[in-house]
Amino acid sequence: MQSAVALSSIGLSSCGWKLADVRAQVNTSGPRDELHIYTWTQYTDEELLKTFTTQTGIKVIADVYESNDVMLAKLQASGGGIYSVIYPSDYMVKKMVELDLLAELNQERLNTLDNLLPRFKDPIYDKRNRYSMPFSWGTTGLLYNSEKLTNIPEDWDYLWQNQEILSKKITLLNDVREVMGAVLRLLGFSYNSRNEEQIAQAYEKLKTLKPAVAAFDTDAWRNQILAGDLLLAMCYSADGIKINKENPKLKFITPRSGSSLWTDTMVIPKTAPNPDAAYAWMNFMLQPEIAAGMCKRLSFSTPNRAAIELLPQSIKQNPNLFPPESLLEKCERITPLGKVEEIYDRYWTQLTSS
Amino acid sequence: MTKISAQPTSPNDAGEMPKSQRFMNILEPLVLLLPSGIWLLLLLVLPTLLIFELSLVPGIRPGDIVNPSGWDNYARIFDPLYIKVIQQSLFFALGTTIICLVLGFPVAYWLAQIAPPRWRNLLLLSFVLPLWTSSLLRTYAWITILRPSGLLNTILSSLGLPILDLLHRSPAVLIGMSYSLLPYMVLILYASLEKLDVQLLEAGSDLGANPAQVFWLVTVPQTFTGIAAGSLLVFISGLGDFVNPELLGGASSMTVARLVYNQFLGSTQNWGFGSALSMVLILVVSVAIALLIKFGDAVPKR
Repeated sequence: MQSAVALSSIGLSSCGWKLADVRAQVNTSGPRDELHIYTWTQYTDEELLKTFTTQTGIKVIADVYESNDVMLAKLQASGGGIYSVIYPSDYMVKKMVELDLLAELNQERLNTLDNLLPRFKDPIYDKRNRYSMPFSWGTTGLLYNSEKLTNIPEDWDYLWQNQEILSKKITLLNDVREVMGAVLRLLGFSYNSRNEEQIAQAYEKLKTLKPAVAAFDTDAWRNQILAGDLLLAMCYSADGIKINKENPKLKFITPRSGSSLWTDTMVIPKTAPNPDAAYAWMNFMLQPEIAAGMCKRLSFSTPNRAAIELLPQSIKQNPNLFPPESLLEKCERITPLGKVEEIYDRYWTQLTSS
Repeated sequence: MTKISAQPTSPNDAGEMPKSQRFMNILEPLVLLLPSGIWLLLLLVLPTLLIFELSLVPGIRPGDIVNPSGWDNYARIFDPLYIKVIQQSLFFALGTTIICLVLGFPVAYWLAQIAPPRWRNLLLLSFVLPLWTSSLLRTYAWITILRPSGLLNTILSSLGLPILDLLHRSPAVLIGMSYSLLPYMVLILYASLEKLDVQLLEAGSDLGANPAQVFWLVTVPQTFTGIAAGSLLVFISGLGDFVNPELLGGASSMTVARLVYNQFLGSTQNWGFGSALSMVLILVVSVAIALLIKFGDAVPKR
């Protein structure tokens, strides 16, 4: 519909129209007992959806995506779409707020956000959680094959030191901020550096590693490392721990010099057709038993204190799921940088296109 | 004087056609062409114009106002980095065309001339059968075969041969693309070789030419239109191929299609530059199609 209007207006004016306009209409005309959520592939399973439907009687249809950028592009191209709940990551929340895509959360409708760990109560990407609700968190690190690699990685520079052994058997995340941020951190700079010289240095260092990189991949590395084709994959802690459960020989570490602290959140877009069901979903996810169950089944860390209490000791003490404070101090959140992101993108395109 | 008239009714004495006949002359082709014409207009012409308009706005992001103002996006393409990406795309497309031609011609020749006529249709069908499965699945199958621990290397190592590290490099992309496009080449060459007049070949050898000369001096010129059509079709498809370089190429082998993908669905969100790259691809493909229309005509040279 949106595109038909755009196309016809070309014939008339042919300039001055807004590209990929997401218009926030008050649209409560969706069916009351249906909820469409847009989430990450590893955050839902059938059990969760069925439990929700039994509890509330609302049918849930989950669509999945693998990267924040794809989610944003699809959202803008479809003018908001049918989703009432979306799961953007921390920096994407800030971006979406600036693009005026998110509805402010009515705190009174959500059961006790006091359960959150202190670190997540007033995060830098969304003061006082006005637009988003933290759902899971973790770090980024390296998943390695402990059987085939004799010396164990402890930090990012392991990749450069062992380039010959690792040749074409490593994958890095397909995310410009994660990869360049990790190298910036290795060189002693901040993940969110605004200094072009520092970014250029990080690019030069990555360029020397590029011949050894098989692919820039956020998801397809899983099957490959399980099959033994890869020796090392850069991945998120949640994914790493999940693979470790499948094959204990594949171990995950968070690098010593620090990495990125990511938070995935739940938000309600302004174009949500069923906000009531969206709040019901969020409250459902805030229940400690549900959050603890998800943590056990899908191996990610929850920021919900009450849920952590319910977890078995083995999970509570897993240093990858709940890293020690000393390590978390060195981890940074990735924040949007406005115009500076173009500098990052330029180097990233140069890196991936060469 | 008798005139063989193609019209159902002939002109009346005054030499004018009746109004209803004129109306039918206009209406008939219009009705036949209208559905596909509207389809093409709405789904091909207008979107291309839209892409062109977007490409004229430097640095446009979703949410910005579209105001065509300059050729900056096109100027950016001339950066040596992007020229290299275009060269890579051309390399893959040309390489695939040559591989398909070299592999497809013998098969088509065998199918058209040497295979028993009873079996021809069945053989042709079996060759085309892989096209019925999803091209994405076929590319994933190649990942399984070419992986370091995949089928190919398992066979090689069991025979005592060194393993080949093909995946995530250019050879894997070429293999994947050739495999995807080979059936098209074979089909088009088959259509052309089927019409080959065997008597010409016999005449050639009767006049003293050896088989190689007969091939180059008789067969190839006769089937030139088929070769041109097949090659150009494979070239056009190969130029725009996204799935094979993305899945089989990994960190190497950046092509124009992947670059456009990164502009639209990556973090850059530079829809203007992506549109400009798309227009360049459309331009090259248009040139190829023009060549196809000129040289791929169905009438073989006598």
